[in-house]
Amino acid sequence: MKKENKKRIGRSYWANIWRKFKKNKLAVFGLVFVFILVFLGILAPWLAPYPYDEVHYEAVWTPPNRQFWAGTDQLGRDIFSRLLYSLRNAVFVGLGAQAFITFIGVTVGLTAGFYGGTMDNILMRIVDIIYSFPSYLLNIILVLVLGRGYLSIFIAISATGWAGMARLVRGQTLSVKSRDFVEAARASGASNTRIMFRYILPNIMGPIIYAIFSGIPGVMLLESGLSLIGLGVRPPMPSWGLMISEATGQFLYNPYMLLAPAGMLVLTLLSFNFVAFGLRDALSARE
Amino acid sequence: MSLYIVKRLGWIVFNLLILSLIAFALIKSVPGSFLELQMLLGQAGTTATGLTVSEIDKIRGVETEMMKRWGPTVPLWEQYITFIKGVVTLNMGPSFRWPTQTIEEIIKKTFPVSFTVAILAITIAVLIGIPLGIIAALKQNSWIDYMVSALVMIVSAIPNYVMAVFVIFLFSFWIPILPTYGWGHPKNYILPVLAMAFGPIGSIAGYMRTSLLDALKQDYIRTAWAKGGKERHVIFGHAMKNSLIPLVTILGPMISHLILGTVFVEGMFGVPGMGQYFSQAANSRDYPLMMAQTVIFGLILMIMNLVVDIIYFFLDPRIRVSRR
Repeated sequence: MKKENKKRIGRSYWANIWRKFKKNKLAVFGLVFVFILVFLGILAPWLAPYPYDEVHYEAVWTPPNRQFWAGTDQLGRDIFSRLLYSLRNAVFVGLGAQAFITFIGVTVGLTAGFYGGTMDNILMRIVDIIYSFPSYLLNIILVLVLGRGYLSIFIAISATGWAGMARLVRGQTLSVKSRDFVEAARASGASNTRIMFRYILPNIMGPIIYAIFSGIPGVMLLESGLSLIGLGVRPPMPSWGLMISEATGQFLYNPYMLLAPAGMLVLTLLSFNFVAFGLRDALSARE
Repeated sequence: MSLYIVKRLGWIVFNLLILSLIAFALIKSVPGSFLELQMLLGQAGTTATGLTVSEIDKIRGVETEMMKRWGPTVPLWEQYITFIKGVVTLNMGPSFRWPTQTIEEIIKKTFPVSFTVAILAITIAVLIGIPLGIIAALKQNSWIDYMVSALVMIVSAIPNYVMAVFVIFLFSFWIPILPTYGWGHPKNYILPVLAMAFGPIGSIAGYMRTSLLDALKQDYIRTAWAKGGKERHVIFGHAMKNSLIPLVTILGPMISHLILGTVFVEGMFGVPGMGQYFSQAANSRDYPLMMAQTVIFGLILMIMNLVVDIIYFFLDPRIRVSRR
């Protein structure tokens, strides 16, 4: 980092990362795709040609055609529209749950790393305990307790998911804490909160953003897994997991029913993964 | 070392107590109760269909047993104590969903199935993933390397339940040689194991590649080359040995995740494993079975982590020194 700054005075931390990130074609491609997907997901109600629950009895199990771009399912619902709504669903859950995870993880990790001592011991013991839990089963139980709304899925996923983020942030905080600029801030009378959020946090943002991006696909997978066994968002609101489970019995006769949601799921996860890989390379190249 | 293991075992007991407490509290606050519903209908336990007369007789006994353990008149703390006692003494009582079986019977029956599938999948993943990773690392930036890297990325984005469907399509429909559903014949193992092995193949290959590349850059490898070591000797004798160590750390959690994460795949192939029973138990509010399975999964996970740490201890002399 220091070397870089000497070479190019005036180029900030972010400009450096962005410059390296841009070189990775696949990552930029992934980022563009992520933006398109998020955009499509948010605008799904306006873009979808049909409502997600509109039933066309006259057109059950129609292969893709001009009227139904991705065909229809066993109730004659337009699969293309359902794909868009599933995307919206996945984007909501992916970003929402990851926001919860990031918030809890950063707060706990920063506090533990910064204050150290007893506080660190207690918080990290909690993290260890959560780490040793069978998180997937707890997610299922939490969804049962809280019901099947967005908020409860956010909470269910983040309740066990924040431990990894907290560990990462704590480690990063420890490595930054003893640097000179923190010392300088302390000497000029900055409060603990100010040091944590204005000095330490911006300097560990890189790894945090990498963790956010690499975590989103996992959250999306978890969500579609939950709806696969009937515990995701409430039907008829579609989810890739639900669409996949509805299509598995039909795969030999109507393969498009499975290929469409599975393809979208894989595409979405891949584009997030590409961004995450690119970020990792851009971040590690700096040392 | 033995002190360390004793300490860790102590933490496992503590963590399990907390886990059981959390699971108990959560499950007890789930809206809707199986037992109350059955009481309303006046037929606790008879929901299971296709029962013989002797089984129905057995259920009558089960009914009183259930009420004694989980009935609404029993205070919560007593239910919790009974539950813990049940786990420790392996006497957890009957399941709600499958009233003719006790929970320990169900677990005794399902755990070996899930475990076998997971171990087979891991074995395949190791046998394919490690060579792939080695080849990719040795031929860095060649087309083989790019292929492996692409495989790692794609596989990491395909969930095993989607893989399951493609495997079914490939081997049961396109080349119809294997059964898609059922259990009992060794042939039934092939498809679920394949579907579950893909993800681990990708991550093991990726891990092996980075770890071997890392090892090849170390000073001791340069020394080994400088001393005139043959390629085979340097790579397999020095670099490989050290690059396998980090792999051990991911294998332990991977096995436990495969045992737990088979929920979807088991349902698809009709594998009578723990995952399938858990999702069915969750959907029919079978609290005792859910709680027991959560605690047992937790135990498996924690023991796996401990085993990994112990293996690590023996493999990596640096840790041995620092922990002494």
